[in-house]
Amino acid sequence: MTIEFEILEDGRRMRVRGPLTIYGAAQARDRFVQAMRLGAEIEIDLSAVDELDTAGFQLLLALKQEGRRKGCDVRLVGHSRAVLEVIDLYHMAAELGDPLVIPAESGAPY
Amino acid sequence: MAKTVLVVDDSASLRQVVSIALKGAGYDVLEASDGKDALSKLAGQQRVHLIISDVNMPNMDGIALVKAVKQLAQYKFTPIIMLTTESQEEKKREGQAAGAKAWVVKPFQPAQMLAAVSKLLPA
Amino acid sequence: MNLDQALQTYIEESRALLADMEAHLLRLEREPAEPDTLNALFRAAHTIKGSAGLFGLDPIVSFTHGVENLLDCLRAGEMLLSGEIVELLLRARDHMSLLIATVAEAGEAAGADLRAQGDALERALRETLGGDVAGGVPAQAPDPVIASGGGQIDGDVWQISLAFGGEVLRNGLDPISFIRHLATIGEIVAFSTHCPDMPPLAEMDPESCYLACEIGLKTGADKRAIEDVFDFMRDDCELHIMPPASLLPASLERITHARGPEDRVGDILVEAEVVTAREVDAALARQEAAGAGEARPALGEVLIHQGDAPKAAVDAALAKQREIREHKVAEARFIRVHADKLDALINLVGELVIAGASAALIARRANDAALVEASSVVSRLVEEIRDNALTLRMVEIGETFNRFHRVVRDVARELGKDIALEIRGAETELDKTVVEKIADPLTHLVRNAMDHGIEPAETRIARGKPARGTVLLSAHHDSGSIVIEVQDDGGGLNRERILRKAVERGLVAPSATLSDPEVFNLIFEPGFSTAEQVTNLSGRGVGMDVVRRNIEALRGSVEIASREGTGTTIRIRLPLTLAIIDGFLTRVGAASFVIPLDMVLECLELTAQSTAAARGRAYIDLRGEVLPFIRLREHFQQDGDAARRENVVVVHCAGRKAGLVVDELLGEHQTVIKPLGKLFQNIQGISGSTILGSGEVALILDVPSLLQRTISQEASALAALTDGAR
Repeated sequence: MTIEFEILEDGRRMRVRGPLTIYGAAQARDRFVQAMRLGAEIEIDLSAVDELDTAGFQLLLALKQEGRRKGCDVRLVGHSRAVLEVIDLYHMAAELGDPLVIPAESGAPY
Repeated sequence: MAKTVLVVDDSASLRQVVSIALKGAGYDVLEASDGKDALSKLAGQQRVHLIISDVNMPNMDGIALVKAVKQLAQYKFTPIIMLTTESQEEKKREGQAAGAKAWVVKPFQPAQMLAAVSKLLPA
Repeated sequence: MNLDQALQTYIEESRALLADMEAHLLRLEREPAEPDTLNALFRAAHTIKGSAGLFGLDPIVSFTHGVENLLDCLRAGEMLLSGEIVELLLRARDHMSLLIATVAEAGEAAGADLRAQGDALERALRETLGGDVAGGVPAQAPDPVIASGGGQIDGDVWQISLAFGGEVLRNGLDPISFIRHLATIGEIVAFSTHCPDMPPLAEMDPESCYLACEIGLKTGADKRAIEDVFDFMRDDCELHIMPPASLLPASLERITHARGPEDRVGDILVEAEVVTAREVDAALARQEAAGAGEARPALGEVLIHQGDAPKAAVDAALAKQREIREHKVAEARFIRVHADKLDALINLVGELVIAGASAALIARRANDAALVEASSVVSRLVEEIRDNALTLRMVEIGETFNRFHRVVRDVARELGKDIALEIRGAETELDKTVVEKIADPLTHLVRNAMDHGIEPAETRIARGKPARGTVLLSAHHDSGSIVIEVQDDGGGLNRERILRKAVERGLVAPSATLSDPEVFNLIFEPGFSTAEQVTNLSGRGVGMDVVRRNIEALRGSVEIASREGTGTTIRIRLPLTLAIIDGFLTRVGAASFVIPLDMVLECLELTAQSTAAARGRAYIDLRGEVLPFIRLREHFQQDGDAARRENVVVVHCAGRKAGLVVDELLGEHQTVIKPLGKLFQNIQGISGSTILGSGEVALILDVPSLLQRTISQEASALAALTDGAR
């Protein structure tokens, strides 16, 4: 029931697993900061995030904002249903929905 | 997966009615009869998403419970609804200062309780 | 588990609690009060009450509330425990026990007999508390906005702007939940999220909230209901709710028609439901925070800037504020004086006029030029004082007119007609006593116009008129009188029908040729009703004849003009004041009589030939017209023989004429009316008295009643004569 982070492909990809909520927000923030130091691009896989609250959502926003500021290409991929629901609620698919806004299980990408 | 609400009140009948109403709206419900009982329920296996607690209870009252919950790493950000009476403005403020921002004034109708829960935790 | 089972639990639980209460109370009788005992007692009452509310057992809630209050005071040490209080609490506990038993037996809290007992105990509890702690039924929490999904999505789009406070997430208040809840009272049609102040990732506090949202919500709910959604966040977020533009006209309407005494922009806007009290408080706090150095922003500016209220509404409220303040300033230039004081003053001025006239008379008799000169100056000043004093009692008729907005609205609803009221000349002034007495006749005329005048909408449309009928109330001054008109744009009077009915009732001879005004005036005859259907509004009871009598009692007259198909106008002419009269002074034997000048048409000599021609009947031939007359000497039973030469004063009222036979004509005379003493009140034909400069009393004739009498006396004979003449 706690958040976990898997580093894949030499730190260029990271998979978040479990709840991305206020309880793990401080920890997640530190991991994101570390990950961004590693290179000019980073891919965050959200397919295993089973819970997202406003603190987690806000962290994703901060991550994208930070990427723009630092010139680092932050890509969010594999959005789980829990993640998409919150992004939709905040109408932020344009900002956080890349590269696909359709969850894997609901059909093929267009 | 249904969200779980912990109902803390020394009145079994109040817990039962609230429980019936919440279950009808799709929540899971745990019950506790006072603050100490509530803490033991929080230490259990089932994860709680929202706590409803009376202010006046024997053993450990509602204010003490809120302060204790705020110390629990797992539950310190959990929404809490306090049950107060309109003559207990002071208690309400005390609860809010401790971090329980929501409240329902006793006596209440089940629908009022559901509306308050729905604002904090959609079913 | 179902509710019945829960109720059983409640009954058992309450019984156990009541047993505990009893034990605690009995202990209190023997031992000093322990805080624990009082706390336990309070909790027991609290629990019984709290759960009773859930089952809707209101009598238990209400009764236990009083017990709980008393126990709360005791445990807080605000009151000392006494033997009497313990005794009272024991009896209250027993009563609660009975209430619970009733629930157990009947399944509900019934028992009207129990209530009397309960009421007595509740009173005793309240009295013990000193009555200042709220007793009785506790105020029910307002009904929550119950989500009704798609049912409420009809409506307009509200703009909600939300900036979340840093603490919301730590307090367990996740905006996601509130936004989902918001979607249950309406449809979210627009949404945007911002985080303008979010620090760089490494510096941010991940448990703080940096978000702000702009939400477009389509809903039929009101501002309060929307605000209630964010109830728990109130202290932790900045919330602004801009009403939809489509609601603006209604809001402006409410602002413009606000009647409250409020002259603060915030209060006006809250009153008109443009903003809520919370928004005003927040804006005021912001205004305060502006610091000493900066220019303090106006409240309206803050509200507009924050997006709580549209500029148009704030402008309207500011205009209203100016209006109210101007009104207040205008009011400040007035002083309120008791009407009795004015009446006393005017009465004194009346006496002064008479005393002045008397002095002038004596001066003339004394033949002292200087004295005559001096007394004429005094007289002139006294007249000025009199005129000024009379204007003190003048009030605008508008206030009386305004009452008719409600009358017209209610009557229109009752009749199922769409009728607007228009008012003109509201600023026209007249004497307060006249204003008071004109309201009833006016009400009758307005109701009549609405009921019988204005046609049903279908008929109006068929006639090419607007469906909505209009009643116009207007007033203006016309040479010393006030003219009040009640005008409708209805069907007008039907000449033929009135005439037919008048003949049926024997009011006119079948062969009589009458002009339109004469025919229309027949509706003022006693017992005349033209409506084919008698409605409960104006068909029965007070008739138009009473209206005319009331108006004539004010020395006024009423006339009617009507065009079939286009409407009817009823014109009331009243003296500006009842205190003064322009009269025509006459003498009969030793007595003086004043005839109101506006009723006098002409004077002529009563010649021997003219009376002879009438063959002893009381009428004369006035240029071919039959003029009934009455001899005042006979009417008032004056002693002495008739004067050698008699004069006829031809008077008219409401289209009728008659002659009053007097001995001598003394000319015009302006005079102050004094009310009649008890002695004279029963004399027919006298309406008041006045004192002449010589100190002599003159009686003022009640012309309408004299006229009525003369005409009725001669009516049958006249009819016969008319028949014979034609």
